[in-house]
Amino acid sequence: MLKMNLQFFSHHKGGGSTANGRDSAGRRLGAKRADGQSITTGAIIYRQRGTKIHPGENVGRGGDDTLFALKDGVVKFERFGKDKKKVSVY
Amino acid sequence: MIRASFYQNGSHIQSFLIKGHADSGPYGQDLVCAAVSAVSIGTINNLEKLTNDSPIVVLDEENGGHLGCRFDKEVSHDTALLLENLYWTLKDIQESYPKNIEVQIQKNKIDF
Repeated sequence: MLKMNLQFFSHHKGGGSTANGRDSAGRRLGAKRADGQSITTGAIIYRQRGTKIHPGENVGRGGDDTLFALKDGVVKFERFGKDKKKVSVY
Repeated sequence: MIRASFYQNGSHIQSFLIKGHADSGPYGQDLVCAAVSAVSIGTINNLEKLTNDSPIVVLDEENGGHLGCRFDKEVSHDTALLLENLYWTLKDIQESYPKNIEVQIQKNKIDF
């Protein structure tokens, strides 16, 4: 004889089912080229949300704030004003 | 979602497997879970009380959500009636709670 357990087909013992438990995949943001590294036109330098790093010489900024090279050259991370940074290609 | 599969051998149901969780409410207030638990466990207990056929039963007592029953020999009329009763009762529950239970007859044997 089986015990008449009316919660046999219920989800969690001792706690209701939660609506949480989901997360989106990591967006792999950050630097894609290092300081002093050579780069070709159009290559991505830095992925970001907002302007943690500002675009400098020969660097463009995409719709999602991604920074990319506008010409072939060498990547240079520099200071920008008192407490900001920018990246250029020379 | 609870999934109830019934294996029909010729005209009689020979075995069934009920798996999953209803998720129709918090633990202790899950109506669909209580209904399915009552009719499925009740059927197995009544098979043992009311018939001479002895079912082979598999259930996950620790986590719940897994109940299988099968007969290796030809089933008697009474057993077939009880199994059919279970099938149609679960079908009625599915009609009212389609998001919480899915009931199907399958042609191949059920693997517990």
